[in-house]
Amino acid sequence: MTNHLETSEMVLNMGPQHPSTHGVLRLILKLDGERVKSIECVIGYLHRGVEKIGENRTYAQFAPYVDRMDYVAAVSNGLGYCLAVEKLIGIEAPPRAQFVRVIFAELNRIASHLLWLGTSALDLGAMTALFYTMREREDVLKIFENYCGARLTTHAFRIGGLQYELHDTFEAELLAFCASFPARLDEYERLLTQNPIWVDRLKGIGILTAADCKAYAVSGPVLRAAGLPWDLRKAQPYSSYDQFDFDIPTGQNADSYDRYLVRIEEMRQSLRIIRQALDRIPSGPILAKVPKVLKPAPGEIYSSIEAPKGELGYYIVSDGSLQPWRLRVRPPSFLNLAALEKMAVGALVADVVAIIGTLDFVLGEVDR
Amino acid sequence: MATEAWQDPLSAALAATFPSSVLTRESFRGQPFALITPTAWCDVLSWLLLNHAFDYLADLTAVDFPQSPDRFELIAILYSFSANRYLRLKTRFPESFSPASLTPLFPAANWLEREVYDMFGISFAGHPNLKRILLPEDWQGFPLRKEKSILAMDQSWVQNHLGIKSGQ
Amino acid sequence: MVETLRKIFLADLLTGLWVTFKTQRTSNIVTEQYPLERPRVGERFRGAPRLNNNPENGETLCIGCDLCAKACPENLIVVGTERNKETRRLDLTYFTYDLSRCMFCGLCEDACPVDALELTQDFEMASYTRDGLIWDRQMLEEGPRPTPYTR
Ligand code: SF4
Ligand code: SF4
Repeated sequence: MTNHLETSEMVLNMGPQHPSTHGVLRLILKLDGERVKSIECVIGYLHRGVEKIGENRTYAQFAPYVDRMDYVAAVSNGLGYCLAVEKLIGIEAPPRAQFVRVIFAELNRIASHLLWLGTSALDLGAMTALFYTMREREDVLKIFENYCGARLTTHAFRIGGLQYELHDTFEAELLAFCASFPARLDEYERLLTQNPIWVDRLKGIGILTAADCKAYAVSGPVLRAAGLPWDLRKAQPYSSYDQFDFDIPTGQNADSYDRYLVRIEEMRQSLRIIRQALDRIPSGPILAKVPKVLKPAPGEIYSSIEAPKGELGYYIVSDGSLQPWRLRVRPPSFLNLAALEKMAVGALVADVVAIIGTLDFVLGEVDR
Repeated sequence: MATEAWQDPLSAALAATFPSSVLTRESFRGQPFALITPTAWCDVLSWLLLNHAFDYLADLTAVDFPQSPDRFELIAILYSFSANRYLRLKTRFPESFSPASLTPLFPAANWLEREVYDMFGISFAGHPNLKRILLPEDWQGFPLRKEKSILAMDQSWVQNHLGIKSGQ
Repeated sequence: MVETLRKIFLADLLTGLWVTFKTQRTSNIVTEQYPLERPRVGERFRGAPRLNNNPENGETLCIGCDLCAKACPENLIVVGTERNKETRRLDLTYFTYDLSRCMFCGLCEDACPVDALELTQDFEMASYTRDGLIWDRQMLEEGPRPTPYTR
């Protein structure tokens, strides 16, 4: 009998409503059995025209909108935007404001990584981690809420410094968090780091070498997991990051497992920065002298920061009027997602979920 | 723009290698940028990539100046890991011109150029897959061109979809 | 033998349950019984807007300067004023605030020179209609009236 089973290529639509795509991402996978032969990302479902809105708002008015791009790291977005505008008009926030900014940006990095850890573990079937990480993230969000009145879309900073002085209970809340968090981190590691299923699903999956990272302009923990110790907080220090002592964790294998380890270690380093900043926080004014009507002289600026997802840049062209002539956001998630094709082709379908999980992008930022 | 001349060895090397293509070399708030002719776009970028290790295309974007005959300005923001510095390259061209695609040099340019095409309608010659990326395929026009008004867009959308007057 | 005894007395199950019950302290309960108990939000919480009155004479604090409307990125505040002939000051005639487009960024609150407009700790602003989210002056002064929850 020469009865062959007929095989053919299968097209699989993953998303836009798929729990593991962390938002509305649609992937068109061409499959040969379980292997991915080609992958196409369809994005833009969350496109709100943030850059166009920026051209139609004054500089101060645009600040709340940036919170809505990477909504799990709104503080970092706001910090990047404020720094870019400050650079454009040539001012600097006072030292106290810079330290407070650092504390909040690092808290936000922890919150963002915690959400990432919980959800990507959930995608791979480890449900417990989500409950634990959400508990700690809640502590961070509570600090945000008490400081600026909002949990996610914080609008915490203003151009030139801060709007709000630290609230009275801030130090106690932060110290309590710093005291409890290291043990909690160990708890996550006990759950996952040696967990055979977790290791099997991540080790050697989604390898993106340092050379590929550079070519695809991938930044953030994904780049560092490939062994390149590049972090804008060290490479091009901003907001007095040069005054703190911290390490840049890197991986060696450039795979999903190393990305997990890098992010866990980054949370420890963030905690270190927070402790130092809290110890040495100077007193003084929190808002630099900013003209009431902000009219930057004609010019253009590119300013980038190390957001939890990678290099977040703002390119602003001013024509001397109240509104920017062009406001471009360099979204780390967008460029990191573009490298998915490189990683996922040839992998198994189930591994695509793991790769998406450890790439850590937010569709609000990809689509803007 | 209150700019200064951009003076350092790289700037001099750039001018010496491409005497006729590099139009201006300036810097603003310590950030250098050079304006080059659109036809030399790929050559200059590949020279920077190969000879000066500007191996990271941090961003690629465009700006629309409808008043000027050379309407579009294309901007590439490069970063060199070894020198730890950023560099901006810019080029100006009219609406009818198609600049060469950077995708063969920098794979990252693939999506960035698609976005520029999507938003400004600049078509890149030699791009492997030039189609809309953020907007739906059937979208009319290019939203980041200056003649597109956000108010008109908002009003028509709200009218069509909600049947009420936009409040803006 | 030991194995069998362990099985008979459900040793493993009990160990597991012990872990569960070990953490069952009332201080660990974080679930909020929302409509029965309203959660405590931060003091600076940016919620429902309120137009403050002078507590002494009940007159509005707003001086009709229009700064809040100018500061708002969404352009959703409309301040109506009239020049008072006698006092030569601006009298507030109407004030509308379109909550449906508000993003609670707090820029209007920051802009107000006399602390008349304030974002309060109220967060129950839901409405069945879009029109219900457009608040007029009276609504802004009184604050939202959420339906009380009864069992
Ligand atoms: S909170 Fe923000 S969006 Fe809402 S009315 Fe005030 S300024 Fe406008
Ligand atoms: S800024 Fe304050 S005082 Fe001025 S119009 Fe608005 S609410 Fe009234």
